[in-house]
Amino acid sequence: MDEVLDVIGGIALVLGASFALLAGIGVHKFRDPFSRMHAAAKSPTLGLVLVTIGAALRIRTFGAIATLTLVGILQLLTSPVGTHLAARAVHLRVKVPQDGVDELERDQSPELR
Amino acid sequence: MIDVALVITAVAALLFVARMLRGPALADRVISVDGFVSAIVIGVTIASVRPGSGVVESTVLVVALGGFVGTAILARFIERRGS
Repeated sequence: MDEVLDVIGGIALVLGASFALLAGIGVHKFRDPFSRMHAAAKSPTLGLVLVTIGAALRIRTFGAIATLTLVGILQLLTSPVGTHLAARAVHLRVKVPQDGVDELERDQSPELR
Repeated sequence: MIDVALVITAVAALLFVARMLRGPALADRVISVDGFVSAIVIGVTIASVRPGSGVVESTVLVVALGGFVGTAILARFIERRGS
């Protein structure tokens, strides 16, 4: 039983780390800042949740599982907020070339109000 | 298996650092700092599993909170200062 849990935990750890690697590749390959943000925000969150599950499966003490659950929930709550803040600041201050319509700018234009 | 995961995370962190150095816009740097902190949190979590590493799980909590505050402060910084 212990060995099975160890192996499952190890697989979860490697999978979670691979999600971080995917984010790194995405940040490297995509061509504009918002696409890069898309890569850098989503997959590390899923990766961290997988890694906390894997770590909890391997450590198996009550304190560790409680702390790691807290870390996972905290990351699920704070990561979208942080990325939203960064995206909003970038959109307000930096001119980023975009394909198609800039919907935020269109909705905030003065003649609509 | 733990070591493999640690190496993968290190490669990811290096990719983020490369993007951080290359830019070209300030936006790219902020994004890669955000991703880099995520990679560090993942790395510390994996290190807390490794026997003999001396890292406890509470460290992960501190690093994760610090990373969020850092991203929020960077975002404020851009909003105030401009590109």
